[in-house]
Amino acid sequence: MTYLAVCAQQSSEHKVLSFAAKAADVLRFATIDRIGRDAQGELNGFQRPQVAAHIREIRDYLEKPDAVLPNPIVVAFTERVSVEELETGVVRLSIDMSAGAPGLVVDGQQRLSALADLDRDFQVFVSALICRDEAELRRQFVLINNTKPLPKSLIYELLPTVGDLPPRLSRRSTASDLTARLNFENTALRGYIKQHTCPEGIIADTVMQKIIMESLSNGVMRELIRGPKGVERCVRLVSNFFEAVKKTWPEAWHGQKPNSSRLLHGAGIQAMGDVMEVLAERAGARSVEDFRDGLASLKDKTAWTSGEWHLEGEVRRWNSLQNVNRDVALLKHYLVGLVKADLRRKAKLAPAPLLESTPAPS
Amino acid sequence: MKFIFADSLDYVDPAFDFIADRSPAERQPYWDDAYPHEILGYAPYDGVLVSRGIVGDHRVKGKYTASQARRFRLVGARKFLRLDKPEFAHLEIFGDCGAFTYVQDERPPYTPAEMAEFYDECGFTHGASVDHIIFDFDAGLVGMAGGSAEARQRFDITLENAEGFLREARAMDADFTPLGVVQGWSPDSMADAARRLVAMGYDYLALGGMVPLKSPEIKLCLEAIRHAVPASTRLHILGFAKADDIDSFHGYDISSFDTTSPLIRAFKDAKQNYYLPGDGLALRYFTSIRVPQAIENPKLQRAVKKGMFRAEDLVRLEALALGALRAFDRDEAELEETLHHVLVYSAPLFEEKPHEDCKDSPTLARLAQRYRATLTERPWKQCSCKICRDAAIDVIIFRGSNRNKRRGIHNLAVYQDHIERLDLKRAVEPSDDLPRRLCAAEQ
Ligand SMILES: [Zn+2]
Repeated sequence: MTYLAVCAQQSSEHKVLSFAAKAADVLRFATIDRIGRDAQGELNGFQRPQVAAHIREIRDYLEKPDAVLPNPIVVAFTERVSVEELETGVVRLSIDMSAGAPGLVVDGQQRLSALADLDRDFQVFVSALICRDEAELRRQFVLINNTKPLPKSLIYELLPTVGDLPPRLSRRSTASDLTARLNFENTALRGYIKQHTCPEGIIADTVMQKIIMESLSNGVMRELIRGPKGVERCVRLVSNFFEAVKKTWPEAWHGQKPNSSRLLHGAGIQAMGDVMEVLAERAGARSVEDFRDGLASLKDKTAWTSGEWHLEGEVRRWNSLQNVNRDVALLKHYLVGLVKADLRRKAKLAPAPLLESTPAPS
Repeated sequence: MKFIFADSLDYVDPAFDFIADRSPAERQPYWDDAYPHEILGYAPYDGVLVSRGIVGDHRVKGKYTASQARRFRLVGARKFLRLDKPEFAHLEIFGDCGAFTYVQDERPPYTPAEMAEFYDECGFTHGASVDHIIFDFDAGLVGMAGGSAEARQRFDITLENAEGFLREARAMDADFTPLGVVQGWSPDSMADAARRLVAMGYDYLALGGMVPLKSPEIKLCLEAIRHAVPASTRLHILGFAKADDIDSFHGYDISSFDTTSPLIRAFKDAKQNYYLPGDGLALRYFTSIRVPQAIENPKLQRAVKKGMFRAEDLVRLEALALGALRAFDRDEAELEETLHHVLVYSAPLFEEKPHEDCKDSPTLARLAQRYRATLTERPWKQCSCKICRDAAIDVIIFRGSNRNKRRGIHNLAVYQDHIERLDLKRAVEPSDDLPRRLCAAEQ
């Protein structure tokens, strides 16, 4: 197989060149998985978990007629290729296929796998690297696959401005949008959330997004967001809840930081997210007043800034609660238990059916 | 006799595309998925059992995600299971602690009060008391003889908890029917527990710890318990793993039992994983055809990592096997040719060798024999349930949760019919001394 390629002057040790090729042809002259055997299998793209889901996601994108893939697939050769210079910077690459595929895919194997299943003549850029030997090739593989990803918080903040995302990201995008609105619109949380563009914020944006995503996928916002003015109503709900939180515990909120008040800390915010769900779902709370009623039962039972928590037979100093799963779960269980007990007490005073009753047959 | 299905989030995606082998990109687990009663259009059971251990909480890791567990507790069992429609109103919702999840602990992690509260809050119709599994069953022990110190301690814990549980349920004026759980190390110790539970005021008992027991042993327990309690006392068998044997249990006046067996056999049993009604009152079994996902199957992936196979080759063999099976279903491929493609792909999975190197191995020969029976009979064409009509041959391909659980749901439907036919039989056959005759025959 031959390709017309452009050559870049980079190193006297290696040749680096670039050309366009059909995905199916790349898979003919290069293999994906042989390197796995040479390097304890770790480098092989096929073996990483969730790889199938990732390939699917890429394929969904590539099936769209306006899909582009400007990033090149990187293929390395150590033998059975020859390069003939035609003019300055332009070369003819000849690949000897007589003994199978001589190339190895160093980067882009997921994209290539996705393309392989695609019923479309789609060309990709191939960056070819001609190395002296396998050791050099492995070194390049490690270097290329070890780049530092962009900070998550920057990506998340960019998401709402990007259209047509895979569903996994679009849920994150909605949460990110709601978080930004809570932070920049007229809400109880205005300026409180630490974002890439709001570094002086106090509450971690990822924590805020976590409780919102949770609610969007299995909680009260799931219904809310689908209704008219869904986004506004979700923003209002969270804002009203935190307004009530501020009014219930003003001393633990104003002028505090996560290390001086557990209410503004990851553990506290996450636990309060669950409290919001219970009040919204079980008691139909929507307004600041509704939430204040619900929170009243918790007022004297917290240790946000001093004292001790009495959690399930475990006594914890106020500042020993950390943003780790176990602590968050303990705190959630404790607070939600109190709120539910309070709701039960109120329900006993004014009995109401537990579940929405289903219409009786006939 | 009521057949209660023990659920553990057993749903499938109705929009799953068998050809592309995937769910739509926007699928949201649980929300877009269908429970057996949703995909079949009717409930293939008389009720559902949910174990607290499966739901999980901050102490016991369940099968539900934390967010699903929270939702379960917020909206209640009926709405979570999407049984909150008039046509499902008659279905019962049983709850138990899921004692297997804390079998290692010295004491159950739940108090009777919090379990009663859990059942009540989540709208269960029946709730089992807080039991602790006893091991070392010995059918030969008489009276209260035997039983290790640990067994006796668990026996006491179970009864103490049952007493507290009934008290709590009454105090909160609970809407669910309390079930007292029987645990013991011998038929007589179980009978003693049952007698004491009745004395506490229970009129519905649940037999726990039956999973490792063989059918004749379970029958001895039932017989002893039946002798110890009034005829009006109802009995439930918790986690009845011998569900296919249910016809031989008729004489014991079992009110209900829960099992998940027809569903999980679809992917846990090596041979009998597709049910059809058989002659008379029996079930007929078929072996489903394994075509694992080349790049997701852990065993194949390991082989690729070790360099035994190339992933691309496996993907190609996989496609050939799937293609042949579909062509066979459309009458466009011969049986032997189809079988060949399936076996070529089976060799890496079962023998970790290329087909060429092991085509005469006993394993592949056995497999060929079973697969041939399945392909010859085309059982998926003999079933009119919605799953078999929609999925066609894919229902009998052993591959991924969407096919395997569909097959399991089909099995549930066949199994429910089976139970109904048995009940019909019982209506005409007197059951005077049946228990004794059955047991005598087996010992
Ligand atoms: Zn069927």
